[in-house]
Amino acid sequence: MKRLAIVLSLLAATVAVTAGAQNQTDARLKRLFPAATTFSPKGGDPPHVKAYNGETLLGYAFWTTEILPLERGYGGPIAILLGMDTKGILSGLVIIEHHEPYGEFSIDPPSFAAQFKGKDVRDPFKLGEDIDAVSRATITMSSAVRTIRNSSRRMARAYLTAPAAASPSR
Amino acid sequence: MTIARRRHFLLAFGFSILLAAAATTPVLVAQPPPAGQGEFDFPEEEEDAPTWADDIRAQALDIALVAGFSVLAFVSFFKKSVRLKYITLVASVLLLGFYKSLLISIVNVFGLMGGNLPIFRYNLAWYLLAAITLVSTVLWGRVYCGRICAFGAFTQLLDATLPSRWRVNIPRAIERRASWIKYGILASVIAYFLVTKNPLIYPYVEPFWMFGLHLRTPVLLTLLGTLLIATVFVRNAYCRFLCPLGAFLGIVSNLTVFRIKRWSECSTCRICEKTCEWGAIRGPKIVMTECVRCDDCERLYADEKKCPHHLILIRKADILARRAAQGRA
Repeated sequence: MKRLAIVLSLLAATVAVTAGAQNQTDARLKRLFPAATTFSPKGGDPPHVKAYNGETLLGYAFWTTEILPLERGYGGPIAILLGMDTKGILSGLVIIEHHEPYGEFSIDPPSFAAQFKGKDVRDPFKLGEDIDAVSRATITMSSAVRTIRNSSRRMARAYLTAPAAASPSR
Repeated sequence: MTIARRRHFLLAFGFSILLAAAATTPVLVAQPPPAGQGEFDFPEEEEDAPTWADDIRAQALDIALVAGFSVLAFVSFFKKSVRLKYITLVASVLLLGFYKSLLISIVNVFGLMGGNLPIFRYNLAWYLLAAITLVSTVLWGRVYCGRICAFGAFTQLLDATLPSRWRVNIPRAIERRASWIKYGILASVIAYFLVTKNPLIYPYVEPFWMFGLHLRTPVLLTLLGTLLIATVFVRNAYCRFLCPLGAFLGIVSNLTVFRIKRWSECSTCRICEKTCEWGAIRGPKIVMTECVRCDDCERLYADEKKCPHHLILIRKADILARRAAQGRA
């Protein structure tokens, strides 16, 4: 009886944690696509989530670490959730996880994420040019910008067609 | 002595040039696979991918800074010049400390353990510094601690500017035991990292973030303040007793090739042992794991007015000369 209770409570805890993580992911996706009504389950290669408003595809959300697992900064990979619309314009980003020693003044401040909103994947993404450089955190900054640039370009090449058309069925 | 010194100097010079060349030589790195089936039209994409030349140009300033600083550091080391050493220390604090915050960190030791080192192509300056640190430690010992590390340079300059009457001299026995603390810290943080996979423990064991002072939690500021106040009274307290990176380099320095030579008189004379600010000389032996190659003892060896080796030789020569003179008379 006691054992059953333990197993049940463990199960409940797992469900609660998973549900909590799912809620958190949903909230983050909603931040990238505020107009979206539904999100597809994650899938495809490169893996992504599609955001829909009713039947209309609004764009794609994807995790940089799933597209470029080898990219890393000073303390390991920098996991970023990116949103991109169907025309190749970034709708925003959320920093999910990182272990960067100098993250506090480089990629953690909201101003870092803000400068990518509305950026075209065809922009240069160069530190000190169209992205603000942060001295003393070169390794972190250059890795974060590289992973954003390259993963969104990889996604654009794989899923975006001519700027006006819809995405190919996967 | 001078010939050997010149040979060392040439060796180091050639070695730093080699390193600079190695850091700027293109190495092929696998590129991400080319365009997929998608038709998204951005022709400049392929041309836009930075080439090695672009990447090196973007990092040229940093590479030059590290290379230039290292040349200064090793010239000061091989010339055994006090003035050049202090110039090196000031340059380290200003350039590697406040300007770049470019220090080898315990996070890099974690990186070695977890395979998480920065990507070579994009971080040439860091790799140059890391290579200089490791190679120089194997060749000569903890030269990095003694004159490259910006925090060590900062505490040495602090020690040189503060009045010496403030300084507390720790008894040898306690000093000797305290020097083991850093190995304990090294072992514990590595264990912590291996269990949690999180390198962000570093500010609690390493004060190097003080150059940016970006972590302003009360706990960390208190720790840093305590350490700096302690450093005012106990010279280089962090480097000698606490630094886990110093402990790591100390372990590496067991391999040291070119050790400090000692005279036979060193087994009885205690001048260098008393002079050593790092507590690295114990009787006739120099403890390589504690020695940071500060040159203090080596300058004494060469001093014909202080080192008994020379004094005894001079006296012998005097006696012989006197006898010869007496014999002739």
